[in-house]
Amino acid sequence: MAMTIVEKILARAASRETVAPGDYLEITPTSNTVLAAHNGRAKGMPEMIANGSKLFDPERVMVVDGHIGASASHRAAEGRELSRQWMAAMGVPSKNFFRLGRSGIENMVSVEQCWALPGDVFFQGANGHISTAGALGAFVCALSYETRAYLIRGKTWVKVPPTLRVNAVGEPPPGVYPRDVSEALLQQIGPTGAAGSIIEWGGDYIENLSMDGRLAICSQALFSAGWTAIVNPDDTTTNYVQSRTTAAFDPLVSDPDAKFWKTVTIDVSSLEPIVVVPPSRWDIRPVDAVVGQPVTKGFVGSDAGGWLDDLRLAARVLEGKQLHDEVVLNVTPGTVEVLKGALQEGLLEIFFDAGCIVPTPNEGMECGYNLPLECDDVCIATAQTNYPGRMGSETADIYLSNAAVVAASCIEGKIADPRPYLK
Amino acid sequence: MEMQLHGNAWCFGGLLDVDWEICPRRVKEELRQLRGGEPSDEDFGPYCMSMVDPTFAERVQQGDFLVGEEGFGYGHDHHHACQSIKGCGVGAVLCESSTTYFLRNSLNLGLLVLEVPGIFAATSTGDAIHIDLENGTVTNATTSWQAEFTKLPDFLLEILAAGGVNNLLGKDR
Repeated sequence: MAMTIVEKILARAASRETVAPGDYLEITPTSNTVLAAHNGRAKGMPEMIANGSKLFDPERVMVVDGHIGASASHRAAEGRELSRQWMAAMGVPSKNFFRLGRSGIENMVSVEQCWALPGDVFFQGANGHISTAGALGAFVCALSYETRAYLIRGKTWVKVPPTLRVNAVGEPPPGVYPRDVSEALLQQIGPTGAAGSIIEWGGDYIENLSMDGRLAICSQALFSAGWTAIVNPDDTTTNYVQSRTTAAFDPLVSDPDAKFWKTVTIDVSSLEPIVVVPPSRWDIRPVDAVVGQPVTKGFVGSDAGGWLDDLRLAARVLEGKQLHDEVVLNVTPGTVEVLKGALQEGLLEIFFDAGCIVPTPNEGMECGYNLPLECDDVCIATAQTNYPGRMGSETADIYLSNAAVVAASCIEGKIADPRPYLK
Repeated sequence: MEMQLHGNAWCFGGLLDVDWEICPRRVKEELRQLRGGEPSDEDFGPYCMSMVDPTFAERVQQGDFLVGEEGFGYGHDHHHACQSIKGCGVGAVLCESSTTYFLRNSLNLGLLVLEVPGIFAATSTGDAIHIDLENGTVTNATTSWQAEFTKLPDFLLEILAAGGVNNLLGKDR
């Protein structure tokens, strides 16, 4: 029976020959699990310490302390302390702790470390944007509430998702980047268009896209109500993985005659740079429609827009320019590796010369952990989402876009078309 | 596990975000401050659907059902929204389709969620609903409308019967 990549991966994890959408499966993954160090209380770490819980395999638990980063947050400090105590009590080796200075946003670190290998099932504790790692050709999702139970039982369950296949085709025009393609899908299918499904990205645009671009596109599956996202592994994937790990992997791909729940085509050549307009996550307009809207803050970062490609793009617009006097632009590299890349390529100098702030790696203004918005702020960001209060005050407005639109807008003090800056 | 569930419907159309319509995210932070720890299901109960209908949590009866449209539980994988639904006494969520994080978090917390295409159009608030988990059917006794759903496997019935997966952890808990 022809199957999609996800059906094949889940069938293998459940030791079944075939599976179909809607099947409930118990599965036993073989990969590592990653936890973020800042939210251990919500994951039941204190109860596990008190109860003397036993993990099914402490060696396979990775803890990344980077979501909130080196900030003044007392909550982050408490989480860090709790995670260390929990690891010691559970017998998780200290080498599995990715401390400040070795870390970043846990989803991005998981990708860089290739904990999600092509053909595998990979879990993150809590953070649905782990769909990012699906770009490596793995089935990935967050365990969320089930984290504690999974770490003890060593098994979980899934309802096999239907697959929404997206064919992104054509050459992107100037000013159009992966973020715009990702939002174009949301615009086309709406906020519930992928409800309960996995989004399989393909087409010649994806095949020609860098790993950073694929990762950014996969990070936003849940805004069209998708569970997670995936890209069929190819040479780009294999080269990326083999340059980072010696671990063996066994990739799977969708059969040519696999049956998809729905197929959507996006003609990338017809797109324009877009802006997501608050307070809705799915009010997506061409940048022209909002040019001139004053802004007070900007943010380039998060797992949706904190990869090296995003920083390169912001720097391309900012080089030799100054930010508007009344605007603060926060450029937060997602991981130490991204920060080092920005340093080596001279991007940091461009950011500092323009007047940006560049915190050490973390989730940045996403969730308001760093530079929270004040009540009258208007922010333009590469962040994941924009519901009232997401980045601080509930009365602040958050517009979302690619890094070039953010940078151009912060130069002009109002939302601006980046295309003149990209010539 | 009680396999025959009876209750009245509460219909909520439109998109229901876990962090806004179902239970605003800030409630979690406020309750954490207030409790000095992780809030319980009952703590979240009074806030359930309060952004859409501030009187809902007071009026809903133990075992009633929430009925929704496509993509129920939109947004992040935050489970406080599921806690608020369970905490105000709702017996199950019936929807056209659910986001998977909402569905998984709910079932793992011991809150039944069933995806039943056609349910929203066929149901009005106040209708008497009967869910038969044994045979995989949901019936609107007020209108005689009936639909089938994929029966839950034993491992999920076990989680629901225990009141959540954390109650199955035994001595290793």
